[in-house]
Amino acid sequence: MLKMHNLSKIYRTDEVETIALNNVNIEINSGEFVAIMGPSGCGKSTLLNIIGMLDNPSEGDYLFFDENVARYSEAKLANIRKRHIGFIFQSFNLIDELTVAENIELALLYHDIAASERRDRVAAVMDKVGIAHRAKHMPSQLSGGQQQRVAVARAVVGNQSMILADEPTGNLDSAHGQEVMEMLQGLNEEGTTIVMVTHSPAHADYARRTINLFDGQVVTENLRAA
Amino acid sequence: MFRNYFLTAWRHVFKNRLFSFINIFGLAVGLMSCMLIFLFVEDELSYDDWLPEGDRIVRLHSAFLSPDRPAFRTVSAPGFWMDAISAYAAADVETAVRLVRTNQTIIKDEKVFDERLVFADSTFFDIFKLPFVAGSAASAFSKPMDFIVSEEMALKYFGRIDVVGETLTVCCVQGQEVDVRVSGVIKDIPENSHLDIDFLVFLDPPMFDFAPNILKTWTSVNTLTYFKLKEGATVEGFKARVYDWLDRESPFRKMTADAGMDGQPSDFIRPNVMAVPDLHLHARPDAGNFGDMRPMGDIRFVYTFSAVAFLILAIACINFMNLSTARATQRAREVALRKVLGASRTQVALQFLGEAVMLSLIALMLGLMGVEMVLPAYNDVLGRSLEMTIATNGGLMALALGVAVLVGVIAGSYPALVLSRFAPARILKANKSSDAEGSGRLRMLLVVIQFAVSIGLAICTAVVYGQSMYAQKMDLGFETEGKIVMRNFTSAPIAEQRESIGRELAALPGVESVVFSSEVPTDDNENNTGFQLLSAAGDTSANTEERIINYFSVDFGFFEAYGIDPVAGRTFDRSRGNEVIEAALEDNSIRRSASVVINEMAARNLGFSNAADAVGRVLRAGVYRAGPYDLTIVGVVPDVHFRSIRFGKQPSVYFVQPTNMDVATVTYRTADLPSLVSAIGGTWRRVAPNVPMDMSFLNDMIAAQYADDVAQGTLFAAFSGLAILVACLGLYGLAHFTAERRTKEIGIRKVMGARTRDIVRLLVWQLSKPVVVANLIAWPVAWYLMVDWLQGFEYRLGHGYILVAAVVAGLVALLIAWGTVAGRAIRVASAKPIHALRYE
Repeated sequence: MLKMHNLSKIYRTDEVETIALNNVNIEINSGEFVAIMGPSGCGKSTLLNIIGMLDNPSEGDYLFFDENVARYSEAKLANIRKRHIGFIFQSFNLIDELTVAENIELALLYHDIAASERRDRVAAVMDKVGIAHRAKHMPSQLSGGQQQRVAVARAVVGNQSMILADEPTGNLDSAHGQEVMEMLQGLNEEGTTIVMVTHSPAHADYARRTINLFDGQVVTENLRAA
Repeated sequence: MFRNYFLTAWRHVFKNRLFSFINIFGLAVGLMSCMLIFLFVEDELSYDDWLPEGDRIVRLHSAFLSPDRPAFRTVSAPGFWMDAISAYAAADVETAVRLVRTNQTIIKDEKVFDERLVFADSTFFDIFKLPFVAGSAASAFSKPMDFIVSEEMALKYFGRIDVVGETLTVCCVQGQEVDVRVSGVIKDIPENSHLDIDFLVFLDPPMFDFAPNILKTWTSVNTLTYFKLKEGATVEGFKARVYDWLDRESPFRKMTADAGMDGQPSDFIRPNVMAVPDLHLHARPDAGNFGDMRPMGDIRFVYTFSAVAFLILAIACINFMNLSTARATQRAREVALRKVLGASRTQVALQFLGEAVMLSLIALMLGLMGVEMVLPAYNDVLGRSLEMTIATNGGLMALALGVAVLVGVIAGSYPALVLSRFAPARILKANKSSDAEGSGRLRMLLVVIQFAVSIGLAICTAVVYGQSMYAQKMDLGFETEGKIVMRNFTSAPIAEQRESIGRELAALPGVESVVFSSEVPTDDNENNTGFQLLSAAGDTSANTEERIINYFSVDFGFFEAYGIDPVAGRTFDRSRGNEVIEAALEDNSIRRSASVVINEMAARNLGFSNAADAVGRVLRAGVYRAGPYDLTIVGVVPDVHFRSIRFGKQPSVYFVQPTNMDVATVTYRTADLPSLVSAIGGTWRRVAPNVPMDMSFLNDMIAAQYADDVAQGTLFAAFSGLAILVACLGLYGLAHFTAERRTKEIGIRKVMGARTRDIVRLLVWQLSKPVVVANLIAWPVAWYLMVDWLQGFEYRLGHGYILVAAVVAGLVALLIAWGTVAGRAIRVASAKPIHALRYE
């Protein structure tokens, strides 16, 4: 599904040059569940952002379905992104001024989908993640676990083939964390590719493969026995 | 600690340069506009305040109503009224004085100047206690032809101030050149006075026996009449006495009775009494077509202008408060930290108050600098010499200081009170700024108010400007191009030579024609007399009612020169006999005949629905300085705008009376205007060396009529432009703030696939809403105000124009708002979403 070849990301300010990613080569196939681990500042989130096309690499190639998107403009990336990729963030990133249903609908708003179909699909996905009874509530009225379920719903409502999760359980207690992990596992079993950044070895165990990063480089890749 | 506050405030100002600029600059512009306007208003209100016992001095105005024509209003009163009313109202009146203004030529060392002399009764200095530079009221103003000059005139003619005993030659007193001896010098009368006196001459009533209309004729209105009231007497009480006199004692009583008119004299004659300090701003409605000694003010303009000042200041204050509070909520973390470190609530509150006041004081200083910079141009437009100094405008400056501090306190008190209350732990934990739900809505409401005011001002400006354009571009009914107007042809030394000078001028290369008349377009002088229409059968018995109609004396060729074609009959024809009104005869009972041309309104006024029917009919009238005449109507001409269109057209009668023609209209067609002008000047100096040449271009004179409107329009436009600028600055700041506050939301939307234009549309629409709502408020208010304002014009723009102005102003406001917001929105919307989310 995606392939990275000698990919680097360097942040430059006037005086400091920070190498966030250094010659990363990875390949992720459709239907995989991959965890990315490593200490703070090792480049996990940068890698995830580049995979998610929220950011461009400084050097190297990034093939997404055999299309090299490394130098694509923001507008082109946005177009690919909205068709293929769903996002889940540690801090949920729900819009405070919109209701649960409206937040989920946001992922369909920028596709050419009729309002009635949007309504149906939002209703269906809310049932699936068990948040339907909260449809008209504001995010601030929900618990953290509920908010993250809304975020998961938003990530999958557009039938995205890949979900990128940046420490999805980081702000949750263990019970809610596990709940979200099971939800992700369920999605993976239905065929969705999942790439997740996490600090938690327990949650990384849900993945079939773990990529360990250190100082911007891939140090090990472990495969878990199926 | 204070140093820390100061540093924080200072760094905050610099870190948020844009906001600080908008805040400070906006308030500075607001305060500047306000100060400029109030300088003017203060000056307007100060007229004649300096006059000792000014409250006890009143002026008598008169108005004559006639069913046939618009009321005749002046700030003068008939000359004989003073003595009669002083005697009748002796209980109220201490003393009284009349002023007679005449234009004369003053000759000194071969140089000639056109000057205005003011003749005044001996009581002048008992009423107007003007300070003397040389001489005193007793020594310098006690006998006929005592002649007082102002300091400025002393310098102009003699180059020094103490000129008592020097002589000047005046032309002409009773038709004679006379040498007068300067008897005293007064200080120049301040600019803020309705009095404008450079030469004051002792008025000896017999001097005016040759011109009975000045002091004696009952219905001639030529003297400015002032009364000094006794202590305790009121303006209203005195006015009531004047009406009593009019109905009980005045000669008008017998006149109305003799004329068989129904009602009291006061039904037809409406005097008004006004205290001198009120004259400048309140006398305009009494003045009719005529002016006072100095240009008159208008209280409505003072009100309008003050309102504009208030509105601009309000817009600027709203900006200041809106942006200050918007920014302050972003400093919640700083507040929380300070509280964690032990600051009390009071200390935090004082810090924010101090900061806001510091900014508003900087704005005040910039505003004062702005006033200094703009004042020369402002004075140019207003024709004033306003100054801003601590000595003379201390009050205004203190007021400005008060406003600035107040704005600072109000702007600072929201963050001071709200932020200082925050529980620090909550803010630090949430790791974000807390913005109260309602404050966004309040902010939008304030933006709506700002834009409603700006749009309203813009609509009013467009209508005021449109009306003045309409007035200037309107077809006046006659040709205005290529015309030079020259005056003084009735002055004694050259009256005899008028015709020959006319022929000489007509012979100059480039001159097409020279015609004479008593007035030319734009002249405010008004002559009226009674005309009686004789019956069609040629019956000479006077059996119809007399109508008071405005008349002009014009030369043969006058209508042709002005391109006015008759609608019926003909114009005057030199080749026919019996056209001209001759000089008066010894025997005043002989009735002679001549021709007249009337205009269409006069024809209607005389009862002709068809203009052609009037031709051949006869008007009987007593012609001033000529005697009784039967005047055959030979033609009817269209109504033309002889005066400013503010006054409309009037029924008019035109006849040829050579003794009454003061003005020449020189129609030219030449490529070399400078040569023509100098040739005219040369001719004049050769034939009339003792008469100052008074020459002007007709289209300049017409434009000058609208100078007041244009000045008002310019100021109105300038100030409403400033208001809109300040409002837009505020909107820009708010757009910036909104975009910043919604960074996270924008980031999320972009991650979800929103394109740049989706985001721009979202932000632009959000900030357009207040502008749209503002339009809905501004339109009806502006409509109401402008419909009312246009009522004041006889010839005015259609109401559709207001609607067009409203739509255009609304769209322009929306476009400006979009332009303001869009740039910011595009920048935010096209940024990579990761930046928005990472820094959340």
